[in-house]
Amino acid sequence: MRSYWFGDEDDHGCTRAGGDPDTLARRVSSLRAGPGDIVPPDWRHARECGAVKDREEYLSKLREVCIRLAREQVASSLSGEDTELMEMVMLLDGMDRAVNQLGEHLSCWYRVRHPGEGWKYRPRDSRRVLARIGEDAGGPLKDALGGVLALREARALLAREIGERSARVLPNCSAIVGGLVAARIMALAGGLPDLARLPASSLQVLGARGALFSHLTGGTPSPKHGIIYQHLRVHNAPRGVRGKVARALAGRLAIAARIDRYRGTLDPEFIARSDRMIEAAGGRR
Amino acid sequence: MIWIGQTLVSPGEPGIYGERVLDGHRVWDPYRSKLGALYYLGKGIDLTASMRVLYLGAAHGTTVSHVADYVEVVYAVEMAPRPMEDLLEVAGRRRNIIPILADAGRPEEYAALVEEVDLVFQDVASPAQAEIALRNRAFLAPGGNLILVVKTRAIDTTARPGDVEAGVSSAIRSSYTILDSVWLLPYHRDHVAFICRR
Repeated sequence: MRSYWFGDEDDHGCTRAGGDPDTLARRVSSLRAGPGDIVPPDWRHARECGAVKDREEYLSKLREVCIRLAREQVASSLSGEDTELMEMVMLLDGMDRAVNQLGEHLSCWYRVRHPGEGWKYRPRDSRRVLARIGEDAGGPLKDALGGVLALREARALLAREIGERSARVLPNCSAIVGGLVAARIMALAGGLPDLARLPASSLQVLGARGALFSHLTGGTPSPKHGIIYQHLRVHNAPRGVRGKVARALAGRLAIAARIDRYRGTLDPEFIARSDRMIEAAGGRR
Repeated sequence: MIWIGQTLVSPGEPGIYGERVLDGHRVWDPYRSKLGALYYLGKGIDLTASMRVLYLGAAHGTTVSHVADYVEVVYAVEMAPRPMEDLLEVAGRRRNIIPILADAGRPEEYAALVEEVDLVFQDVASPAQAEIALRNRAFLAPGGNLILVVKTRAIDTTARPGDVEAGVSSAIRSSYTILDSVWLLPYHRDHVAFICRR
């Protein structure tokens, strides 16, 4: 028997699948031919079994069914907490870039107004610098500064929200590398389903695109780590074992991603075992 | 194909992606469409009003809309949901585009929908581009044509495009008669189009 969107066919004839376009769309999503066993539908057969009366109706009905089906599939794959988390991470990175760049411009302008004033022997973190600019700024400089400070505030709130959501969407990955890095890794992989299918070796160099391609084309040493370098255990490890730690971490992370995707709950025993393994490789907290 | 002077156009409702309009016809930009580029290079299979087309890698529906202006029906297969949103909008305004969200490498997913066609056009970015062309052969009527646009960099970024072309050519030769292969320069870099017959 062969199943098509309009009905089932066998040697004796054809049975029409009834119902409105929504019912037919649900039917289609459950159909699937065996590989290497494709016989395309023939619109004349659809007419013979009474599903349509002519070619025009065949196409318009099929189009209707396909549009509904695709709409549903798009909606289900583009909604959900993991997709939203990805967008939040992208926004966070964009905000970081904006705050840095705008802060740079503000401080340049400030220094033009106060020539001869150096920045040595003073606290230099960006918040203090911006505060100092704010002390005597006025007019557009002050307004722009207000905007940047508000953006920083929003950025901090967003980062906290990402951490919380990440602990919900990626409980095991977050427990291993922290919410923010876990969310970034997922964003780079293109979503939770894609992340769960990634081999550990790809995970290890995710985010090291430049280094990876220069390795593939130019024979430079292969990258040891990409985004997971941001995690303290890799970052703080002695130079000589960083690659080893990154490898161990990526291996456990790949498993964590699969647990997050297919089970979705935190597995404390798995986390404890992973921590021991990563520490054994030389990763320090 | 319809040419106004040196410009390739297609008849249909304009305004899909801000394309220029010339004498009521939509201008088909070879820099944005690999199929368009092929016609500009004097190659390609002429589209006719009775044609049924399977379009693999439909993306946002830009080229699909031009093809739909010429032929009876286009089955437009696209795997990514984000471009599919645009494609659905285009399909909503045209009676003869049938949008399908599926992976072109898994034709069994849409085997219940797509009838036998006269032309398969394939433009997907995948390392398995040759394999995909072979798997979709079942939809092509005997004597029908395949236009396979190969993005050589998607198969191997480091290999020479010419070597990739040779690899694809030997992979599909057993299933298709290769009539011609055309590099899409100056419109698209490192892209080669195979024009084949089943």
